[in-house]
Amino acid sequence: MAQERISDQELEAYLDEALPPERMVAIENALRHNHECLLRLHRIVSRRDNGIHSVAEIWRRNRLSCPSREALGAYLLGALTEPESTYVKIHLETVGCAICLANLEDLRAQGVPSDGERAEIQRRRQKYFQSSIGHLSRRE
Amino acid sequence: MAEQTSESERHLISRVRSGDPEAWEEVIRRYEGRLYSYLGSHVKHRDIAEELVQETFVGFLVSLPNYDSRRSLENWLFSIAAHKLTDYYRRQGRRITLSLEEGIEGANRCAIGGRPQRGPSTVAASHERRGIEEQALSEAIEKQIMAWKSEGEWLKVSCMELLFLCGWSNKETAQYLHIDEQQVANWKFDFLRRIRERLRAQGLPQDVFPELQGEEK
Repeated sequence: MAQERISDQELEAYLDEALPPERMVAIENALRHNHECLLRLHRIVSRRDNGIHSVAEIWRRNRLSCPSREALGAYLLGALTEPESTYVKIHLETVGCAICLANLEDLRAQGVPSDGERAEIQRRRQKYFQSSIGHLSRRE
Repeated sequence: MAEQTSESERHLISRVRSGDPEAWEEVIRRYEGRLYSYLGSHVKHRDIAEELVQETFVGFLVSLPNYDSRRSLENWLFSIAAHKLTDYYRRQGRRITLSLEEGIEGANRCAIGGRPQRGPSTVAASHERRGIEEQALSEAIEKQIMAWKSEGEWLKVSCMELLFLCGWSNKETAQYLHIDEQQVANWKFDFLRRIRERLRAQGLPQDVFPELQGEEK
């Protein structure tokens, strides 16, 4: 079945941390036990080192066919047409776009946060701000 | 979607560049949740995910002079987060370290994280050329995808994603989408033709991306 095979395009996505965690683990395991797969990864890295990029690499990095965040929100609410909803589902579950999955999870978490969750989000934001603000002031 | 940077986002970044703390707070407010979801889903430990998000934001400020504000801020932040994640896994010994000491036919000696050295002028020229190629290809693909989306051709978009992002064959794609294999071949042929035309119009050589070379219908 197509999903069981690891294509070069997926190996590229693996190098860029662009797949869901479970697929990353499956590829990691395959690389440890499948010499042919490891050889293909070597070739991809070597090709990149020689300054040659690929369509898949550029497509994923620039997110050329990803649904917008608004579309992901509508998908969560079940507000998309059936054909568009199917496209989003394939993009998330089969193509396995890690960034869109993260956006979807974030939108879900923001849906109806409890007081505790709201306080937790606020705590994180404060932490990030305080730990990075020094680098901001140095830019002036 | 490649999400070209909007005017308001460009303004926000301009304020961050000038050291405006409120603008920086706004960037954190907008993006921390999705970065936390991405990193948290991979490392499965809240404290570590928080640390990596923190490193991502600091990394963004450090790399700000190199950030081209015409590009998507979200994509830039996620690319930094991905590098932080890779570094974390390597520290944990959870990423395969490639070493070609044994030699592989057709491949140069290399190691992930230990690239072969090239002269600075070669690297600069190569970097510039790659940038031009990437921009041209991105524009060509995005225009076609946007056109199909606006026409409600969602199946064609999924079909191209399975072919070019997953690397599936025409047959596998057709089976998965419950369509005829010849239909997949026709759509792929049409897609490749349009992309090649757009690249040619921008003066790019035909053989830059071998994956785009001709295919029989």
